[in-house]
Amino acid sequence: MALIEARSLGKSFGAQRAVDDLSFAVHPGSVTGFLGPNGSGKSTTMRLMLGLDRGDGVTTFDGVTFAELDHPMRHVGTLLEAKPFHPTRTARNHLLMLAAPSGIGARRVDEVIEMVGLTGVARGKPGKFSLGMGQRLGIAAALLGDPHTLILDEPSNGLDPQGITWLRNLLKFLASQGRSVFVSSHLLQEMAVLADELVVIGRGRMLANGPVQEFLSHSGLGAVTVRTPDAGLLGPALEALGASVGHDGDALVVRGATAEQIGDAAHAAGARIHQLTTRQATLEEAFLEATGMSEEFRGTQGGEQP
Amino acid sequence: MIDALRYEYVRLRTIRSTYWLIAIALLLQLVFAALIAWSLGRSATFGGGEETFEILATIGGSTGAPLLVAYVVGLLGVFSTGHEYRHGMIRATLTAIPNRTVVFVAKVVSTAVISAVTAFLCVLIGLLCIIAFGLDLPSASGFAEVTGGIVIYTVLFALSGLAYAAITRNQTAAVALLMLVPSLLEFIVQSIVVIIKTNSDDPRGAGGITVILKYLPYDAGSQMYVQSSIDGFVQRALGAEPFGPVGGGIVMGVFVAALLAGAYALFLRRDA
Repeated sequence: MALIEARSLGKSFGAQRAVDDLSFAVHPGSVTGFLGPNGSGKSTTMRLMLGLDRGDGVTTFDGVTFAELDHPMRHVGTLLEAKPFHPTRTARNHLLMLAAPSGIGARRVDEVIEMVGLTGVARGKPGKFSLGMGQRLGIAAALLGDPHTLILDEPSNGLDPQGITWLRNLLKFLASQGRSVFVSSHLLQEMAVLADELVVIGRGRMLANGPVQEFLSHSGLGAVTVRTPDAGLLGPALEALGASVGHDGDALVVRGATAEQIGDAAHAAGARIHQLTTRQATLEEAFLEATGMSEEFRGTQGGEQP
Repeated sequence: MIDALRYEYVRLRTIRSTYWLIAIALLLQLVFAALIAWSLGRSATFGGGEETFEILATIGGSTGAPLLVAYVVGLLGVFSTGHEYRHGMIRATLTAIPNRTVVFVAKVVSTAVISAVTAFLCVLIGLLCIIAFGLDLPSASGFAEVTGGIVIYTVLFALSGLAYAAITRNQTAAVALLMLVPSLLEFIVQSIVVIIKTNSDDPRGAGGITVILKYLPYDAGSQMYVQSSIDGFVQRALGAEPFGPVGGGIVMGVFVAALLAGAYALFLRRDA
């Protein structure tokens, strides 16, 4: 099982810095989500990791770069774009071709075809495949070598809800076997239930990196709601801790303090608490907060002047 | 390298264009060689001899017409790299085989082998037509020279197609270049040189601008199988003696090698 270490990844397109000094690690036995707005450099970063794009920095898989791996498909499975296949080469032949350099046999090809649910169309031309079927074929290619590491760029694109559930269970299962899974997605709700750790970037720069819970708890959008008849005592005590205190009806909405800190402060101030509810920011809220000023492409809403 | 060659083998074997293009090359060769053989057999003026094999093996290319098999098989060279970019396969290929040098060399080798085999089969079809129509068989040396010329020209032609596709990363542009550079571009250059030379003070003198004509790569390479052509006659009339089979082959070989070197350098340097 491999530890992925990306160090100082960088890439420029002309004068624009697409990826700037990104360093992170993906640990075995975990799913690491790779988040960022459109154009933030996620795909470029993945290509840099695999040596497909020329740029700065280095990525190692248990200390070895991708180019140095012997039969890399047996170590690192990749899905980098939708429908990367010739439209008239059958799905099975496509996989046989990719398998050939690594000495992977037809039996394994048939196994992964079955695994992704394409057995019925394995001898069909993928030019007629839907986006979701194309993604399944791409996932099959990534799984061909039974690799210890997976790097998947938007694998859920085009998948129907059943397909997304299947993919989530598959990736969780693979991670539970000790494999390293690095996956980008714009489906934040999906990532919230799939990922153990996150790498969040904006405009090619690192915005956050670490466990999902840590990312959520650091969000300023998380709050603790306190119902107390002694708001006059508790409010100033919490503000003295550095928390911000707002009002929602007869309750206080506290940001910047944990439930434990609030409980302790109430005890010290002699304030009674009738209800204390922690509300954590959703991944979507935390993501939008983190990337708020990092969107490469910003649209307008109807009637709004750009 | 064996891994990359295995990949190329499966790639070629699992795509229809490989079979279509080879079949078209062989079928055209068969139809035209049979028609020409039938025509020569009925001709009262045709002298026969070595020239019979030269005409049938090249289906008229030995008299200066384009070598049809090269144009058809050349597309295999274009597709070997062009498909990678047209269908977004290049990244999948390089994740299976990250060593770009190995990938590039395997494509060159596979293109060279498949075009050489196809060209040789076309030559054999010409020979079969000679036997079928009872025409004069070539001598062993004549067979070897003409066959060698056709095979080498076809291989170089196909490799130039591969290089065009690798340089442009655009299959359509590469096909256009492969079709237009030998036929149209070289013809335009020849025409310009002829106009300038014939309007000069010494239209029949050796040297001068007509030297350019000897270095037009595809035209020079065609000396490997062309015995007599109008182009050659015009060049000689303007004081430019073509290099002949060996020199012409070297000119074309250097040109294609330079194209491949450029394509290889770009392939190493560019993003996939």
